[in-house]
Amino acid sequence: MTDIDPHLKKFQKELSAGTVSLVLLAVLAQSGEPLYGYQIAKRLEQTGDPLLGGKQSALYPVLRNLSAAGLADSHVEPSVSGPPRRYYRITALGQRVLAEWRMSWETTRQSVDAVLEGNLR
Amino acid sequence: MNTAAPRTIPEYLDALRRELRDADPALVQDALYDAEEYLRSELAANPGTDEASLLASIAGSYGDPAEVAAIYRDTEVQVAQALRTPPPPPRASLPGRFFGVALDSRAWTALFYMLLSLATGIVYFTTVVTGVSLTAGLALMIIGVPVVILFVGLVRLLSLVEGRLVEAMLGERMPRRPLYVGRGQPWLERIAAMFTDPRTWSAMLYQLLMLPLGIAYFTAAITGLSVSLGLVAGGVGALLEALGVVDFEGAVHVWPFANPLVAAPVLMMVGVLGLFVVLHLARAVGRLHGALAKQLLVKTAQH
Repeated sequence: MTDIDPHLKKFQKELSAGTVSLVLLAVLAQSGEPLYGYQIAKRLEQTGDPLLGGKQSALYPVLRNLSAAGLADSHVEPSVSGPPRRYYRITALGQRVLAEWRMSWETTRQSVDAVLEGNLR
Repeated sequence: MNTAAPRTIPEYLDALRRELRDADPALVQDALYDAEEYLRSELAANPGTDEASLLASIAGSYGDPAEVAAIYRDTEVQVAQALRTPPPPPRASLPGRFFGVALDSRAWTALFYMLLSLATGIVYFTTVVTGVSLTAGLALMIIGVPVVILFVGLVRLLSLVEGRLVEAMLGERMPRRPLYVGRGQPWLERIAAMFTDPRTWSAMLYQLLMLPLGIAYFTAAITGLSVSLGLVAGGVGALLEALGVVDFEGAVHVWPFANPLVAAPVLMMVGVLGLFVVLHLARAVGRLHGALAKQLLVKTAQH
């Protein structure tokens, strides 16, 4: 196992780098209320392993990037347990971008599946 | 990792700070803030669990300090490549380097920062002077305690705002998260920590310095701009008068002995060159001031 392990790790890292924005935006879109980093991390944890072996600390910089790109907006609320929390909510632009990303993801998934199952002519 | 696993949240944060010791201080502040939010939330979500075993499980979910440090380093590089507009290609020729400054957006935003710094400098200076005198005056009364806390909080907030301005206009990477000093300590210790934190003092020093600096920047920018623009406008006026297009009735004096048809274009050229010199000056001031802000607002607390 040890000799294929680094290859698996590298592949997972690359896959997750490409999908983590999509996953985070989808979580924000499905939530009716603004969410903060820890809540998002815990929601993703329930679904198994969407970060593909990655660590949840990787979410925070991505959330910040989504917000900087205008796909999510954020506000800060004080918290009793620790530093003030930054809550994120998807924007209208984020909704439209998510729809596009989703289509692009479907296309990629179908064609990758087709290749893997050997349905090529 | 060659060090022992952290057993408390401050130990975890210290380990993370050590792992990031050569990273940009602003990045360190952001990473520490995010980690603290996660760790404190996890602790609050699992009451009754002891901190050491909680941190052991966090190493699996959030990542251990070394992994977190690696993630933040990687992301910073990717974001810097994706978001920053690429700098214009350096020009080899001397005139290219001199006139190319007009295409450098950084020079224009730095010029704007110089003009703005008079206003922000007055606000910062007034805040610090008012806060210090109020605090000193009320220190012996019980009402002095909330005043001190409010004042230090305001100084931190203003440092964050100034950091955002400096990053947007001068291009120096500054923190995106406020400075956060550990919760869970008794009130008196937290107030004491505000006074022993070198960053509180250096932020106040920076805010006091901003008044004289702001005056100097504003004066330099306004003087440079008005002299250059005045030369250009005077040159245009003299040329138009010499050509007989407009008559200023002797209000425009170019050069008493020179032919205005020769002197006016020379004046205009000098004015245009002056504008470029002002842009170069703004870019240089921007670099120096960015370094100063980084030193006084961010670096002092990270050893």
